[in-house]
Amino acid sequence: MRLEAKLALFNALSKLLLVLLGVVLIPPIMSRVAVSHTDERLREKSEQVLELIGRDGISTFVQGEEYADYNILQQEYITLTPLPAAAASPGNPPARIFDEPRQVDDKVEDFRILSQQISTNGRRYRLEIGSSLATVELLTATLRRMALWLLVVGAVLTILSDAAFAHYLLRPLHRLIVRKLQGVRHPSAFSYEPLTTTTTDFRRLDDSLNDMMHLVQSAFEKEREFMSNVSHELLTPVSILQSRFENMLQDPSLGEAHSLKLVESQKTLYRLRNTVKTLLLIANIENEQYLRDEAVSVQAVLTDVVNELEDRLAQREIQLLEDLQPDYVLPRANRTLLFTLIFNLVSNAIKYNRPAGRITVLGRPGPRGGYQLAVTDTGPGIAAAHLPHLFDRFRRFQAGASAPEGYGLGLPIARTIADFHKAKLTVESEEGRGTTFTLWLP
Amino acid sequence: MHVLLVEDEKSLHEEVRQFLVESQYLVDSAFTYAEASEKIFVNSYDFVLLDLGLPGGDGLDLLREARRNEGQEASFIILTARGAIDDRVKGLDLGADDYLPKPFSLLELQSRMQAITRRKFGLKRQEMTFGAGFELDATGRTIRHAGQDVPLTKKEFDLLHYLLLHRNRVLTRLQLGEHLWGNVLEDDSDSNYIDVHIKNLRKKLSQFAPADFIETVRGIGYSIKS
Repeated sequence: MRLEAKLALFNALSKLLLVLLGVVLIPPIMSRVAVSHTDERLREKSEQVLELIGRDGISTFVQGEEYADYNILQQEYITLTPLPAAAASPGNPPARIFDEPRQVDDKVEDFRILSQQISTNGRRYRLEIGSSLATVELLTATLRRMALWLLVVGAVLTILSDAAFAHYLLRPLHRLIVRKLQGVRHPSAFSYEPLTTTTTDFRRLDDSLNDMMHLVQSAFEKEREFMSNVSHELLTPVSILQSRFENMLQDPSLGEAHSLKLVESQKTLYRLRNTVKTLLLIANIENEQYLRDEAVSVQAVLTDVVNELEDRLAQREIQLLEDLQPDYVLPRANRTLLFTLIFNLVSNAIKYNRPAGRITVLGRPGPRGGYQLAVTDTGPGIAAAHLPHLFDRFRRFQAGASAPEGYGLGLPIARTIADFHKAKLTVESEEGRGTTFTLWLP
Repeated sequence: MHVLLVEDEKSLHEEVRQFLVESQYLVDSAFTYAEASEKIFVNSYDFVLLDLGLPGGDGLDLLREARRNEGQEASFIILTARGAIDDRVKGLDLGADDYLPKPFSLLELQSRMQAITRRKFGLKRQEMTFGAGFELDATGRTIRHAGQDVPLTKKEFDLLHYLLLHRNRVLTRLQLGEHLWGNVLEDDSDSNYIDVHIKNLRKKLSQFAPADFIETVRGIGYSIKS
């Protein structure tokens, strides 16, 4: 997941938590606020009533038994009830506020009630002022709704603004990834254009990335130059000798004994040349001097290889069975190298087969995607002890029936080419029955 | 045929020169960039054999410079031991006619020069006669005897063709093998594939007429006498 998405997600989650907290905490707070607000109002009203009583006298309100006043919707009421003259009670108990049901007309409703005792003209009265709880609830609900809306709107707005800001902040990083890292498989494809950013961390990241790439690139160049020099230094003398031997062999005055020695020297030189060329080929592949830019059909390459080798097959009366079901097209490959790889496998299968033997080339989709190509011969097989070293560059086997000299060069090349194509090359062998090389293409 | 040999390595230069002179070419020599540049400008050659790493400059620049000159008709063959892959592509892009990586066989060089000559002068059908009434058609890749096709495999044809191109020369198994298998790196230089091919060739040809023109030079190789 991208950093920006992660930040936005984290942000949204924390805001959600805040909203949830609000949902839990706001109702009790709001109802307390509403209740204390109501209580305050009740107290104010009782003071107003007391003031009126003080001004107009209690008789204005209480003539007979009791005074009661309701507003029409039964949201509030005021009662003044005369109390029996209690036995010597000094002063009035303090006012109380409580919730209690009261019958108003023919309905019972819950009220918030302020009740207090007052004394006037030598008599005691109880003054009750009630406010319908339904009204209080209504107030609470309104307050709660408003608070919640505010919270949600605030959360959404801050989530959006935070995401926008994070996007703005992280833009240089995004550009760095898209422009410099994606699709860069080789230092030569790297863009050294400096990143425009005011964030120090990104600046540092970009600078050290550039520095590192410079180092990698110069190491690549050095290695390439080195290989080029080595090949020049090694192959030029070989070239001189080869031309000289060829010229000498054409000399009619050369005796037979010397001619034979020359041919032997030529063979030695040829081996030296092939060793150098093999090393250069492997080094060049490993240095990414080859491109993988073609879609290559395995069947087509195999057909080329078999065409090239059909004389050898015929000479040794070896039967070759091609069974590719289906064919496979490697999307990004180097045809020349792939040819060399398959050529080496099939040519080995001919070299180390018994006369009139059989070679099977089996191509099948891999069990976990990809493709596998197996080349099986009916040769003497290779001892298990030798198998792990088969692909080593310079390991030669001890002399013996299962010690083929020629495995020395072809297989390391095949392995290098397989690696270059992100493929695996494995070997299985059973002494006396044959050997199978399997190429696991991605 | 007038050839300019541009090669700074003295010993190699001498060997190639000797070979070309024996093959009846007129050979001119250049050892440095400046020398080569001047000679190409002043003289007209049929072939320029160009080494890339020259004292005083890169052979590719020489090629570029020469190709800018419209009157230039020489065919360029690049000879190089530089390992770089793009040299080949670059060289051919710049208008080189062929490219031979060092070390190369002198016979291979001669074959390439002959092929370029054929191309240049539009010799579409290059036919050769040999033995008692055999005919080889290099374009159609067929061998005929008295109007009848001699059935040969691809490699057998190539082998015969190569021997015929270098008539009267002894070719070693290595030289023949290298021509047949080209760039494939093989290390079984003692393989007897060539011997088997020759045996089959003789058998197939002798069904039409005696094939004694293919001579075995014991321990060394084969040659065709005319």
